[in-house]
Amino acid sequence: MSSKGGDLSIRDVSVVFDSVTALDRVSLDIQSGEAVALVGLSGAGKTTLLNTCNAMTWPTNGNISIDGKNLSSMDTNELKMARMRIGFVHQQLSLVPNLRVIQNVVIGRLGHRSLIGSARDLLFPSREITEQVYDILQSVGIPEKIYERTDRLSGGQQQRVAIARALFQDPNILLADEPVSSVDPARAEATIALMKDICASRGLTLCVSLHNLELARAFFPRMVAMRNGRIIFDQPTDTLQSYEIEKVFSLVDDSLASPPLSAQEDGLGGRFG
Amino acid sequence: MEDLDRLYHERPKNHLVRLSLLAMIALIAGTWIFGNFVETENTNRLANVERFLNELRPYPLQDRNFDLSIALSWSSDLIDEKGWEAMSTTLAISVAAIVLAGIWGTLLALPAARNITAGFTYDPPKLLWTLIVGTTRLVLIFLRAIPEYVWAFLLLALLGPTAWPAVLALALHNSGIIGKLSAEVIEDLPREQLRSLTSIGASRLQIVMAAVAPAALPRLLLFFFYRWETCVREATVLGMLGIVSLGFWIQDARARNFYDEMFFLILLGAFIVMIGDVVSTLVRAYVRRAS
Repeated sequence: MSSKGGDLSIRDVSVVFDSVTALDRVSLDIQSGEAVALVGLSGAGKTTLLNTCNAMTWPTNGNISIDGKNLSSMDTNELKMARMRIGFVHQQLSLVPNLRVIQNVVIGRLGHRSLIGSARDLLFPSREITEQVYDILQSVGIPEKIYERTDRLSGGQQQRVAIARALFQDPNILLADEPVSSVDPARAEATIALMKDICASRGLTLCVSLHNLELARAFFPRMVAMRNGRIIFDQPTDTLQSYEIEKVFSLVDDSLASPPLSAQEDGLGGRFG
Repeated sequence: MEDLDRLYHERPKNHLVRLSLLAMIALIAGTWIFGNFVETENTNRLANVERFLNELRPYPLQDRNFDLSIALSWSSDLIDEKGWEAMSTTLAISVAAIVLAGIWGTLLALPAARNITAGFTYDPPKLLWTLIVGTTRLVLIFLRAIPEYVWAFLLLALLGPTAWPAVLALALHNSGIIGKLSAEVIEDLPREQLRSLTSIGASRLQIVMAAVAPAALPRLLLFFFYRWETCVREATVLGMLGIVSLGFWIQDARARNFYDEMFFLILLGAFIVMIGDVVSTLVRAYVRRAS
């Protein structure tokens, strides 16, 4: 599949929650089909930035456009259409635990369907839908789990279902917020590689926030680092200098208590802050 | 060690709990001291109790030795005559009531749940939706504020002495309770699950169908069966208003001074409440395991 739109443009965006500045005049352009890693400590503003991209958090100032269209000038229907084109893989699993895998994947396409149509897809999916779900599950490597109950799967498998759901949505842009923070290091690498490959082969724009710098370096050509709500660098991964990386994760000038860098590098440094 | 003592003294204390405990102790002591409970003037009391207990024995057995065959034939006559009908009416009323209450309660719970009306986003809710939540919650409070006995009393005047006043009275009161409990269950559902569906363009009703219903249903079923249990009990009591459930026959026997018959019917009432209890416990255990 070729590239099909998916330019993301963030212009001067600030977000203030109850006098706490989560984002401070952030500007970022991501081209269609590009793969970007968003790195930084907890509380740096990565999640807020991703949430503004599908208008789940509205910026206090600044603009976000997708394929040249400003989110804040869209009416309800246009916004819905825009959201349908953005797949989102969350840090906390957002699957419905007591549904089957196939149903959780079908949920990805709710926005495209009428109420009756989506009820039929959930309860009595057609052969065509079932085959599409099977194909997507095959691409994330768990086709045999299609009729399994979702909460019977391991954390890593559930993360794959979440990715499958986002892909079933047929998005132009895939955003992922700490998708591997609850997965063991070996699986984390496999999951990121999988997302990267799928997005590359489908021409999707990919933006993933990560704690793990090694993963970001190994899989993403471009790295955007955030600290205290600001972007502190945005450059190709292969030109990165080690002092720049230290700036991202150093604990000086940071009121948050965080574990040392080594804890993050082994991929276990999931949550602190 | 001094540190430890200091930490012990500085530990967080819950004053409300302590004060309530003190108030409770004072209240208990007060009622014993100032209440007039321990009075033993009436010397006939023991004799009265003895006479009453004798009258509770089946009529053919009074003033003679206990005989199982007589007791059995007396009870089976009574069961054939009115027991079956009274028990099945009581059960039918409770089942009809809980089905209606479940449907109404769930329908009212949806607009009463703030996360649904707010569209599962963090945006401040629109005025219209705030009004809808407020109105629905008021309706729910009103429904459960009026006891089922009073509802039945009013409906009896309106609909006449059929089973419907009892069914509707139980359904109205319980839909208020189920609606409130269900709304709370829905509001407590994991926010990210529901929010993520908004973020992919799903409508409120689609989210209710795809995520709220499967996640909340097991817990709602627990409420339905718990309230059904109470419905069985209440359906018995409502008979005393003149609706032909067990309560009616209990009242009737009492009015004719047939205490043996009254006592037997009360036992039948306890029996079906216990059956309801067991069925509901089994179903709830099953639902818990399955979810």
